[in-house]
Amino acid sequence: MSDKLQNIINNQQQQNGVEHSDIDNIVQLVGFIVGDEEFSVPILSIQEIIKPIEWTRVPQTPTYVLGVFNLRGTVIPLIDLRQKFGLSAKNHTDETRFIVMRNDEETAGFVIDNLTEAIRLNKRDIGAAPDTIAEAESMIEGVGKQKDRIITILKVDKLLERDF
Amino acid sequence: MDEFQEILQDFLIESFELIEQLDQDLVTLETTPEDLELLNRIFRVAHTVKGASSFLNFDVLTHLTHHMEDVLNKARHGNLVINPDIMDVILESVDLMKGLLVTIRDTSADTGGEDVSGCVARLDACANGTNPSKAEAPVAAVEEIADVTPTTSTPNADGEVLRVEDEPDVDYSDYSDDDIEAEIERLLNNRQEEDKARRDAKIAAGEEVESFPEVEPEVATPAAEPAPVAVPEPVVAAPKAEATKPDAKKAAPAAVEQTIRVDVKRLDHLMNLIGELVLGKNRLIKINDDVEERYEGEEFLEELNQVVSIVSLVTTDLQIAVMKTRMLPIGKVFNKFPRMIRDLSRELNKKIDLQISGEETELDKSIVEEIGDPLVHIIRNSCDHGVESIDDRVATGKPETGVIGLKAYNEGNHIVIQITDDGKGLDTDMLKMKSIEKGIITEKEADSMSDKEAFGLIFRPGFSTAAQVTNVSGRGVGMDVVKTNIEKLNGIIDIDSEVGKGTSMKLKIPLTLAIIQALLVGVQEEYYAIPLASVLETVRISKDEIYTVESRSVMRLREEVLSLVHIGDIFEVERVFDASEHAYVVVLGLAETKIGLIVDSLVGQEEIVIKSLGEYLKGIEGIAGATIRGDGGVTLIVDVAALMHMAKTVKSTINSQVENKSSGGEKTQASDYKVMVVDDSKTDRTIIRKSLESTGITLVEAADGVDALNILKSGDHHFDAMLIDIEMPRMDGYTLASEINKYNKYKNLPLIAVTSRTGKADRMRGVESGMVEYITKPYSPEYLANVVKRNMNFKF
Repeated sequence: MSDKLQNIINNQQQQNGVEHSDIDNIVQLVGFIVGDEEFSVPILSIQEIIKPIEWTRVPQTPTYVLGVFNLRGTVIPLIDLRQKFGLSAKNHTDETRFIVMRNDEETAGFVIDNLTEAIRLNKRDIGAAPDTIAEAESMIEGVGKQKDRIITILKVDKLLERDF
Repeated sequence: MDEFQEILQDFLIESFELIEQLDQDLVTLETTPEDLELLNRIFRVAHTVKGASSFLNFDVLTHLTHHMEDVLNKARHGNLVINPDIMDVILESVDLMKGLLVTIRDTSADTGGEDVSGCVARLDACANGTNPSKAEAPVAAVEEIADVTPTTSTPNADGEVLRVEDEPDVDYSDYSDDDIEAEIERLLNNRQEEDKARRDAKIAAGEEVESFPEVEPEVATPAAEPAPVAVPEPVVAAPKAEATKPDAKKAAPAAVEQTIRVDVKRLDHLMNLIGELVLGKNRLIKINDDVEERYEGEEFLEELNQVVSIVSLVTTDLQIAVMKTRMLPIGKVFNKFPRMIRDLSRELNKKIDLQISGEETELDKSIVEEIGDPLVHIIRNSCDHGVESIDDRVATGKPETGVIGLKAYNEGNHIVIQITDDGKGLDTDMLKMKSIEKGIITEKEADSMSDKEAFGLIFRPGFSTAAQVTNVSGRGVGMDVVKTNIEKLNGIIDIDSEVGKGTSMKLKIPLTLAIIQALLVGVQEEYYAIPLASVLETVRISKDEIYTVESRSVMRLREEVLSLVHIGDIFEVERVFDASEHAYVVVLGLAETKIGLIVDSLVGQEEIVIKSLGEYLKGIEGIAGATIRGDGGVTLIVDVAALMHMAKTVKSTINSQVENKSSGGEKTQASDYKVMVVDDSKTDRTIIRKSLESTGITLVEAADGVDALNILKSGDHHFDAMLIDIEMPRMDGYTLASEINKYNKYKNLPLIAVTSRTGKADRMRGVESGMVEYITKPYSPEYLANVVKRNMNFKF
């Protein structure tokens, strides 16, 4: 009996130990769908995720900049990721969400088709972006492999960078 | 080191404040050289700066101010009469002093900046020129050493007497106990220092009499020594200087203004918070209105109403109160002009009197900072180009002395600054000629220009009316700067001038920039906010009042011709709905230009808080920012200056509808004319085609009414006339005609019925449905061709 208990305790400690040592190597991501592909961004760069609200068009901007919206008193730009990625615009559905992302100096909302899940990935499972994509222009941080699927991780800095 | 920085900051703030006052005092002094009170005040400034700078080891500055002090001291004791030449030297030294202070501000040291030796020599010459007796020198030397203690008291030669009148001026009431302790200790120390210094001086005086200018470096060394004793001093000195300043101004020693220095950042933060509150208030009012509608007559409504009105009232008061904390009297800017006018009039050999009024008018700090430069340029311009030389003035029967007036007053939410001169005025013909010469405008433009527009020419870059480029103006840069700066402040410039009588320039500037009144306008389903400061008026016009001049849309507004631009063209608004017969024109004015902005609807006036669009969307042309409305939506704020700029290049579609109506452009050949033939019978269509073949007119065929309407709506063709059969399947000719007439833009399209129905009733129906001609089958080809040609003014 006491041996068994000891075993369990040992096992637990082992597991805990593993998690502790791994916490630095785990990346938490939020996955979402745009078009037919699944993308993800680091959870720490997301300020919040909201249901679509009204926005105001801003003239003299590319079509993928839908305009600006009011997030509790702050005026934030709204960018349609479908159009940004060269897909056709689509009417918003019940699944559509605005993901508000931010880095040090900028905050912006991105329209995505629907959310999938929060993903925990080991750093080992993240590979570099395909070589065919020029490094500097690429919006892709890396590619995450998980069991049967592949998740593209986006560069938040690049998304928030004005390119017009 | 931090402590030193802090002391340095205090020193700089104090010094700049003192110098500002100094300029004005000195100019006044020139006219009233025997005003002892004034002299004392000026002397004290030089003295204070000297004392503090020696304490902070700014040797060059100390050296300069010491010699200034000498001259002023002599004048104060009546040993020297201030004449314009001496004043020039004193003013020069004040300028040097400013230069040094700027150097200190930028580099924390006064070396390597200005060379003061020349000026010091001149100052000495002034001091000695009238009073060369060596006996005076030891006194000066004694003073010098005594002043090492950095107090604002006067030197010890007459220190005992003056101390009595200086020190009691200080208001101790707001000092804490500790401060008073410190103050007492300081005074005791001062006394000891002075006694010590006096003893030292007596010893030192013996050797130093001979080599007066060399006294300086040696004296500077002891200056450092009493420093430890006096460390708390500058901290105390700052409030003290403040406390005594109002006394000096009013000469009534009783009322002391209680002030605290506040970091501007804190005020800005406060202003931002108020902004949020105003938005919240707007929202609350909106919700209150909605609730009122829904629960009319219920009891709780009254309570809600009361709360909302209290909140809204208090918010408004709070906003005004915070705005007031940021307000500065414009006198702060005006102060430097008496000096400037004095220098300019000497330089230009003119006699000019500056009359300032309304200097107590207040406006926002950020605006006070921006308004200085434009005013300098305008006043320079008035001195150089406006006011004539003395001979010219006498010749035209004007008094020798020209008058430049500088006046500020409030007008609603604006402050108006008016600059007038009684000089030669602006000659519109001359302005136009010069502009044509320099290629700024074409002769054609010049001919159609009103007087006001011609005055506006002086703001064009590259324009200068001065025949010669003088030191003062004429480089053609200044007035352009005025325009840009005023535009930045959303201000308006209004010029009035009469040849021989003078010129008056009015600058109308909003009181504050953060929270503004705006006019909300609608275009299609979008709304935009236009700063009310830039809105001169709104007018409702019918489309007929819009004319086209050289492919630009214009309208006549009373005596003026106003160019028009549609807000939809500026902001790329898709036009889905048909515009109505009427349009609203918002007349915008900025600096000296005006433009009419056509909008679909006027929503109303609202108080808005300007928010930035953020890094990502910054610098969008025509948009100054965004604001959050009562319903929580975002509304963009129009940047009027940019909009005016864009209006020059934007492709106008205002009159495209009008053009559609008539012909869709110039007709250069017969085939440019297009006629639609609507008939269900192929044979009939062929007959018509044959009949019109000889004219060369282009024909488009439609098989029935629906078909015709679709072709028309597609907008692929601009038709000049339509030939319509009456009896057709799906849609007959009458229905087609009345459908077409529902569209505004086809109102003038001639519809010609071609039919075998000959009854009177049929003809009547044709007229009712909007047909202009009625041709009965059979017809001769010539007759048909003639009717068609006549109806579309065929020219070939």
